[in-house]
Amino acid sequence: MPTSSPVSQALVPMLVGYLLIMAALGAGLRLLARSKTGGPQAGSRTAGRPEGTRPAAGSRHGWLLLARHVAGTAVGGYLLLMAVVIAYYYGVARVAGDFITSAFTGTAMLTGIALPLWGAASWLTERRGQRDSDDAGEREARSP
Amino acid sequence: MVVRNPLVGYLIWALLFGALFAWEGLSLARVGSLPTLSDVFRVIMRYPVGRWALFALWLWTGWHFFVRGWHFLLRA
Repeated sequence: MPTSSPVSQALVPMLVGYLLIMAALGAGLRLLARSKTGGPQAGSRTAGRPEGTRPAAGSRHGWLLLARHVAGTAVGGYLLLMAVVIAYYYGVARVAGDFITSAFTGTAMLTGIALPLWGAASWLTERRGQRDSDDAGEREARSP
Repeated sequence: MVVRNPLVGYLIWALLFGALFAWEGLSLARVGSLPTLSDVFRVIMRYPVGRWALFALWLWTGWHFFVRGWHFLLRA
């Protein structure tokens, strides 16, 4: 397959991206309509937060659950992308250069950079929220 | 055959993003019963496969824009 063809280089990725977004939107609309007609969140416009993903303040168990949830998501997403990359390389187009190596190492590097930063940001946000709620509790206790 | 003028590509991208933003604008303005993108992402993220797909998409975007083809810092 010629990789320089405008169809394979520009139009197909754009169409695939567009179809993926529209399919996600359609699936979301359908699931939302289904959850409105019945289920625990009937009538709610927004879906609920995944259970067990938010650590309770000061709870070691909560943080462990969150870490497991995030690690599962990261590993699953990484493996899924690698499967797609390999399928694309061997099934659609043999992209020149170190395509496969770059995919494996580049995405691993991005994950390695992003996850610790995200973890630190989450910890700081949680700590600030905890401090704010402690301050509010103290003010409430002092007020007559 | 390679398209030398990237204008068509830009136009198509602009159209796609325009459609996406129009969707989000209409749903935030509560026109009809369109879900916002946040609603959609929340629903998708309820399921492990949905979370994997979103993470994979995020990774691919980062890899595509910040790693592939770069020779500054990120690649030897």
